[in-house]
Amino acid sequence: MPMLIRLSEGVFSQVQDVFVRLGDDEPVVGGDAIVSLGRLLSGDVARAGGGRLGVWLEPGDEVEALEGRLDQVDLVALAFPKFRDGRAFTSARLLRERLGFTGEVRAVGDVLRDQAGFMVRCGFDAFSPADGSTVEAWAAAASRHRHVYQRAADARAPAFLERGRG
Amino acid sequence: MKALTANRLSDGEVVFWKSGAWVERLTDAEVFVAEDSAVTAETSARAQPTLAIDPYLIDLVETEGFWTPVSYRERIRALGPSNHERHGKQADGGDAVEALRHAHGAARSSGRVNLIRRK
Amino acid sequence: MYRYDAVDRAVLADRAAEFRDQVRRRLSGELTEDQFKPLRLMNGLYLQLHAYMLRVAVPYGSLDPRQMRALADIARRFDRGYGHFTTRTNIQFNWIRLADAPEILDVLAEADLHAIQTSGNCIRNVTADPYAGAAADELEDPRVWCEAIRQWSSLHPEFSFLPRKFKIAVTASPHDRTAAKVHDIGLLLRRGRDGATGFEVIVGGGMGRTPHVGPTLKAFLPSERLFSYLEAVLRVYNRHGRRDNIYKARIKILVAALGAEAFGREVEAEWEKIGVAGDLPGSEIVRIRDAFTRPELADSPAPGDFEARRAAEPAFARFVRNNLKAHKLSGYTIVDVSLKGVGETPGDISADQMDVVADLAERFGQGEIRSTHEQNLVLPHIRLADVHTVWKALDAARLATPNINLISDIIACPGLDYCALANARAICVAQDIARRFEAPDRAEAIGELKIKISGCINACGHHHVGHIGILGVDKKGEEFYQLTLGGSGAEDASVGKMLGPALPIDRVTDAVEAIVDAYLQQRQDGERFLDTLRRTGDAPFREAVYADAH
Ligand code: SF4
Repeated sequence: MPMLIRLSEGVFSQVQDVFVRLGDDEPVVGGDAIVSLGRLLSGDVARAGGGRLGVWLEPGDEVEALEGRLDQVDLVALAFPKFRDGRAFTSARLLRERLGFTGEVRAVGDVLRDQAGFMVRCGFDAFSPADGSTVEAWAAAASRHRHVYQRAADARAPAFLERGRG
Repeated sequence: MKALTANRLSDGEVVFWKSGAWVERLTDAEVFVAEDSAVTAETSARAQPTLAIDPYLIDLVETEGFWTPVSYRERIRALGPSNHERHGKQADGGDAVEALRHAHGAARSSGRVNLIRRK
Repeated sequence: MYRYDAVDRAVLADRAAEFRDQVRRRLSGELTEDQFKPLRLMNGLYLQLHAYMLRVAVPYGSLDPRQMRALADIARRFDRGYGHFTTRTNIQFNWIRLADAPEILDVLAEADLHAIQTSGNCIRNVTADPYAGAAADELEDPRVWCEAIRQWSSLHPEFSFLPRKFKIAVTASPHDRTAAKVHDIGLLLRRGRDGATGFEVIVGGGMGRTPHVGPTLKAFLPSERLFSYLEAVLRVYNRHGRRDNIYKARIKILVAALGAEAFGREVEAEWEKIGVAGDLPGSEIVRIRDAFTRPELADSPAPGDFEARRAAEPAFARFVRNNLKAHKLSGYTIVDVSLKGVGETPGDISADQMDVVADLAERFGQGEIRSTHEQNLVLPHIRLADVHTVWKALDAARLATPNINLISDIIACPGLDYCALANARAICVAQDIARRFEAPDRAEAIGELKIKISGCINACGHHHVGHIGILGVDKKGEEFYQLTLGGSGAEDASVGKMLGPALPIDRVTDAVEAIVDAYLQQRQDGERFLDTLRRTGDAPFREAVYADAH
């Protein structure tokens, strides 16, 4: 089973990925499955055997489409078809900050540790690295910067608040 | 005629292929007559990505007894910037540098012969 | 100058360490070139024709003497003793070794300098009025906002992988010296009826392949709402900007495709959702304002023998006429330092010259130096009584060419002498034109005339907004140049119009001279070149250039 890095309560760890990605015409046979946004919206996602449900969003898919359905969803996988395609950063922030999603937000695709810090800040908490990063390397990259200048989807205090505290 | 060129990874220096290694002077470069030996060299160069970046073949013409690049851009790479005559390879001076300065070529795009294919 | 605190310093140190690790991974083969390239670009490291080029940020064009000396040190130790100021007010070093780059970042960080986001598809260095804090016509010092934007945009978690690069300009003067209307976002500081400050927000200007003068998206944005609004614009752009075609990826294309109104509605809707949570607390703006050192300017210091010298020394008088600008306080002036010596490479400066400028700023200039998008430097606070001494020292260092805004004050990008993307050279064209118009009386008689040269359509040399724009093109392997007339990057921004077929390199200077002669013939009282051109249209100029072209 493929390896996945999870971030939970500030700690990175390696876990088994138990989700299976289903094509739009593959039947749901039980277990944890990830379906496309189109399939989720069409309602063809009966949960067989109580498996958990994930949805896969391409960068051009609007996260707002999930509004009102997020209680059915345990996982949102946001795709980075290319390292340089930064749309999923916005999608993740909106999922967390605007739609209040508390389930797993997973980075999939061309996922390199050099973006780990940005991903965590935007609300990702699961990573399927394409560069073979170990948990240690991933954690080190994600926490390299001692200070940040912006508010984002994580709990980190931006510099302007740290300074305010003196 | 063709030569194989790239920029060295560690410092960006313009380099040319010579039987399995990279050299800094165009006059030392291996000149390929046959297309397939050029392509073979390119393949071996690409297999060493920690030495040089994105090797590519360039067309050469003869000028004043030296092989010089057809393309204007490649001649500047082989010489150095024209606003600082002591910077870059041209600082060496000599006949080969003079020949490069006097050379004329055809289209720039034909100088990087495999640019389009690589994209 | 903004004084860094421990947080700002830690950010630079961490960033330098991160890059050191990335370089190590590349050299060892852990990272491929395809993976490494966007990473090095985000630290301003390009691979050019002859070597790596490192672009160091000069945030909103402000430097202090210590920083200028650090740049001189880098030029000497890691380069070939010189640097090149760009139209983004940054400085580039042309002969960098990849293996040295991490150490250079450490040296920069020691002087509170960095190369963060000087390239890549992210928010780039902010452009500010080079006379900020000194200009007689400004409402307030725009650099406070620039520094706040610098911090907000540095390593932004959401906006570091945009469809394309993103450039912001801020000006607080009615006379726009930043080319704000051809930026992705131009912020023009205004004072509202109640005295509060705000910004006119221009979005979607730009140069490159499809130049646009940006439309005004918001006539008056209260300044305390700036950051939520920026976030809204950037978010709409990040989501909807095109990513399939590099030439259509800038925000100007999105704004033009949707129309300014529809784009504005999207931004408003997003802005409303973000709300004040996206704004920077007022206390932080106050903190940043207080972290700027204030120049200690006296109350109307005596001008000494300034007037007498000016009357007695024609060369000094010429410098005063062309290189001095009105300061907001009497007894002071703004001194433009020309990096356009005749025969020199526009924007180039040697390490020794950097030291001269640093010394002068320290001794006479309140420790302030600015770089301009026209590739010159500025000493913004010089007492009139010291101008003569400063001029002498600049002149001895070949930095006192009295040609600001004149025909030889030419913008030129590095072009094919250095740049891997170029079609043709730009530097030698600039040098040739400057030599032709070397005689200072003639240049002054011609008056304000801005020539801007780019070596390819990326337009780093701002040719679209040159009164005369010159664009290098590749015609069957030869260097050819396309002339445009009537561009302007000032408050009356406009994009130049193509004059006719491209010319071979050896005809460009003659063509410029023919244009100038036609202007002198057509000129009516007091008209600048641009005024005459706008009155007559370009027919007389086309005639002058192409009439005898057969
Ligand atoms: S305009 Fe073109 S040639 Fe000039 S610096 Fe920019 S990319 Fe290079």
